[in-house]
Amino acid sequence: MIKTFTHETLLQYVYNELPAEQQVEVEQALVHDADLAARCADLLLAQRCLDALQSTPSDRATQNILNYSRTFLRAS
Amino acid sequence: MEPMQPSDSALISLYIAGKEEAFALLLERHKRRVFTTIMLIVKDTVVAEDLLQDTFIKAVHTMKSGRYNEEGKFSSYICRIAHNLAIDNFRRQKRNPQLNLDATGHAFNSLTYAEEGIDATLTRDETHARLRELIQELPAAQKEVLIMRHYGDMSFQEIADATGVSINTALGRMRYALINLRKKMTAQPDIYDQNLYPRDAAPVCVQRIAS
Repeated sequence: MIKTFTHETLLQYVYNELPAEQQVEVEQALVHDADLAARCADLLLAQRCLDALQSTPSDRATQNILNYSRTFLRAS
Repeated sequence: MEPMQPSDSALISLYIAGKEEAFALLLERHKRRVFTTIMLIVKDTVVAEDLLQDTFIKAVHTMKSGRYNEEGKFSSYICRIAHNLAIDNFRRQKRNPQLNLDATGHAFNSLTYAEEGIDATLTRDETHARLRELIQELPAAQKEVLIMRHYGDMSFQEIADATGVSINTALGRMRYALINLRKKMTAQPDIYDQNLYPRDAAPVCVQRIAS
């Protein structure tokens, strides 16, 4: 019998939050259940989409933090 | 094979022992996630960079004064600080709105696109800008979970604890955040980027080779 998984379980799967045993169960189900695989692919695409929004702060901001850390060491 | 990267925990121990290079690595590893978390809340590059500095300065104080709690992930810890500072700032701004003349209005303008043509870069910039707007349009609770989980690297359980809801509620909010984003994206074909979010993802096909 094919076990069904909720969308919430799939979310935990794509974010690597499931216990190892349950993760294997999901992976086995993905092979046999096309609908589940499609829902999982949707979530992975959404992740990729959100990843693309990541932004980098300026070098100046990064350098300020590093300088602060070094100064803090000398002061204490 | 890639060389093994030291864990956050190992870097923190080295930093506390006086190795400043370890902190530089830690900062390099987490600054983008933290900055993105803040940007999605305050929407102003100058303010976000200030808050990024405040976030890491708080962490420096905690670690160097021996108060850092080894339990839990550093990524969740640092993003929780960032999220709280950003929310505080957002609330203050709401009470006392100020015009920032330095801000260009182009949030996330430091995104870099190596070796891309100008047209492709502009199209992608527009798509990203629209996606950011769509995230802003999400109901507050959904937006909060999305930012904490995706950019803050907090687990659903950590988010549930931080926001005072059950893990199922946190998961449900994330689910609806993604459903809403997808609906909004697919409803606007002009800003739709096939490379980022295919509307009708082709099913996986197995090509049969005629024998």
